[in-house]
Amino acid sequence: MTPAGAGFSGSRRRVASGGTLALLLAGCAPLVPQTVALRTGWPDGVPRSVELRDVPFFPDQDYQCGPAALATVLTASGASVPMKALVDEVWLPSRRGSLQLEMLAAPRRHGRVSYRLAPAYGDLLREVAAGNPVIVLQDVGLLGTQWHYAVVNGFDYESGTIFLRSGTEHRLELPFTAFERSWMKGQYWAMVVLPPDRIAATADEQRWLESVAAFARAGGPEAGVSAYQAALKRWPESLPAAIGLANHLHAQGQLGRAATVLAEARRRHPQSIIVLNNLAQTLSDQGRHAEALAVIDQAMDPASPFAGDVRSTRQLILERLQRGRSASAR
Amino acid sequence: MKTSMKKLTCRVLVVSLMTLSFQTAQAGLIGAEQAAPATASTERALILSTLDRGEVASQLQAAGVDPQAARERVAAMTDQEVRTMAQDIQTAPAGALSTAGWVAIIAIAALVWYFAYRK
Repeated sequence: MTPAGAGFSGSRRRVASGGTLALLLAGCAPLVPQTVALRTGWPDGVPRSVELRDVPFFPDQDYQCGPAALATVLTASGASVPMKALVDEVWLPSRRGSLQLEMLAAPRRHGRVSYRLAPAYGDLLREVAAGNPVIVLQDVGLLGTQWHYAVVNGFDYESGTIFLRSGTEHRLELPFTAFERSWMKGQYWAMVVLPPDRIAATADEQRWLESVAAFARAGGPEAGVSAYQAALKRWPESLPAAIGLANHLHAQGQLGRAATVLAEARRRHPQSIIVLNNLAQTLSDQGRHAEALAVIDQAMDPASPFAGDVRSTRQLILERLQRGRSASAR
Repeated sequence: MKTSMKKLTCRVLVVSLMTLSFQTAQAGLIGAEQAAPATASTERALILSTLDRGEVASQLQAAGVDPQAARERVAAMTDQEVRTMAQDIQTAPAGALSTAGWVAIIAIAALVWYFAYRK
């Protein structure tokens, strides 16, 4: 379920062999199913030619293609992080490479949401067309397996070329077919990195919210608010987005705004025990105990997996009510 | 053996889920992760994940990462990722062709050369 693969990556010094790779694979069209599919069905709304020339370039040394690729996309997303810092965050000295899982985890420490793309050529092109450079995992080995991270920053349909920032090559051109051959061995692994107020062009609601949850966990309440806010704007019906936004507003002490978000979520999802519980808790934290009690009473469903939480919320509200009464009686 | 292990794991999970309350974002609030439809409640093995974090951090250290950096790297991961990492870090394929692979290739090349040209 989690977009975590098992591959390591070490970058090649001789990336120029990409050309040789292209020659070897020139006759392999049936072995590149997605390239063949692109020939007949170019994704709707994607221009024929895009090149993100402003994407920076960090030439990698000593097999450190993981940190170099991350520095490239992080800088492109507006967070400039020195490559030295990224080496400490994703580099595994004993394996001379970086794990995919850590590639996804590291951007969260720099206020960026990372998202693994669906394994599709169309999605890769769509992200690049939307202005998001994409990190891809390739097997560039000629004899054995040689994992390598590179950044796709453009493509051209007419000439059938993919443009990459790769290894020591500022502008590596690979034919669609050769690129697919190297990319498919890592199960078409690809990721984008975005500031929290933006959402990937190909984002799937559920998977994006998982990314946001992971980001918010590492980045603290303030970062969480803007990421959940953007998600709720894109998917107004989303329950996890509303709950996440309200929880992070609550954590920041913005109880009024949290209550507003939850009240709207309750209107859309009247049956949600989580919404009722969290709304009751928030109202009670605002001192509105009587309203809170009315809300929590609607959530008393013994069969719900949250029955225990609901009971303790109700208990808390009752205690606060009683304390309030005895205080006013004195 | 395998099924009995699975059964045991399931039982432990069920019991821990019954006795532990769900992880809450802060006092009294239920977290957004709980609302995601695909997040099976059986995934929430909180006790296991706390153990895994320490374990993964020491695995990273064993792989040559500085202890402080290892802890910070683990902190940026989700519970699910930590669990995957705990398994992956040992079983993941190596990044480069192993020495044994090169020896095999050279041996085969030598044999080919021997039979093709030595006659």
